[in-house]
Amino acid sequence: MIGRFGAMAPLVAQNLQQSQQQRGMATLKHISMRLKSVKNIQKITQSMKMVSAAKYTRAERDLKQARPIGEGSKLFYEKAEIESPVEKPKKLIIAVTSDRGLCGAVHTSIVRQIRGELSNDADNIKVVCVGDKSRAILQRLYSKNIILVANEVGRLPPTFNDASKLTAAILNCGYEFTSGKIVYNRFKSVVSYSTQEMPLFSLESVQAAPKLSVYDSLDADVIQSYLEFSLASLLFYAMKEGACSEQSSRMTAMDNASKNAEEMIGKLTLTFNRTRQAVITRELIEIISGASAL
Amino acid sequence: MTAWRAAGLNYINYSTIAARLLRQALKPDFKVEAMKREASQIKFTPWIDGKSQKLPKPKSS
Repeated sequence: MIGRFGAMAPLVAQNLQQSQQQRGMATLKHISMRLKSVKNIQKITQSMKMVSAAKYTRAERDLKQARPIGEGSKLFYEKAEIESPVEKPKKLIIAVTSDRGLCGAVHTSIVRQIRGELSNDADNIKVVCVGDKSRAILQRLYSKNIILVANEVGRLPPTFNDASKLTAAILNCGYEFTSGKIVYNRFKSVVSYSTQEMPLFSLESVQAAPKLSVYDSLDADVIQSYLEFSLASLLFYAMKEGACSEQSSRMTAMDNASKNAEEMIGKLTLTFNRTRQAVITRELIEIISGASAL
Repeated sequence: MTAWRAAGLNYINYSTIAARLLRQALKPDFKVEAMKREASQIKFTPWIDGKSQKLPKPKSS
């Protein structure tokens, strides 16, 4: 009898542990329990997908409005052709992620990029982690490089107040960086995003920029105010892009999870039916052979 | 040097305060919508030498 169930072992072993598979009845019960739990998981992933789809449409709408803010600030750096000083390489990297997981590789791809930088030059780079996820990954190897962690990000869509608080915190943390960058996920479409960087510069390097004269009536005070404001708007833009990529990525991830659950449910149902049939057949054989022995 | 910078504010603080005052000055029906944009949940923890400086301490690896 064990031999007959042994033929089914590879099928069952995919889903159940070897120890659980003793007799027909026990296996049947285990399979049905497993089937139920997979069905519940599928329900959860499906509803998470719906939620993130709703959040995604809002994030995309917000992003469309936020893009000009970021593009404008980026253009200033490009037009003025600012270069960071070479001799004092004190860098700051701002990792824009969020607190929430279950959204594919959005956070890991940001962290991977930063880790690449840190592995080259760990002494002169400090990291600001926006969101718990980047902190959780980076603190394992580079906890000494983290100077500031921001959390409670990602539950609600980012606001400009979030960005300005973050800017104030970065400016007040006492680390004088000569150049820096924001690492964020740029949203391309529902199915794709790319991890990108935006440069940041200190006041000195802006003032030393060769083409600053293209801008009219600038004094140190105006430049300083503008730099503070542009840091806030770049961060706001990066957070919006990040939020949108995250929601779209979560949508895809949850869609895939639901599909996988669907596949598992199919396999488990098949196993369940086969096992049930086997049990019925066995009982019939027992009855018939018992009857014929009389 | 502007007055707000002499008082120890930077442009961000200055513009945040200005924005808040503007939102408060709006007519009631616009105010509700504008106040939603003021919400901010973000929290900060400074880190020194690989340790967070505030409680509750995030679990270290």
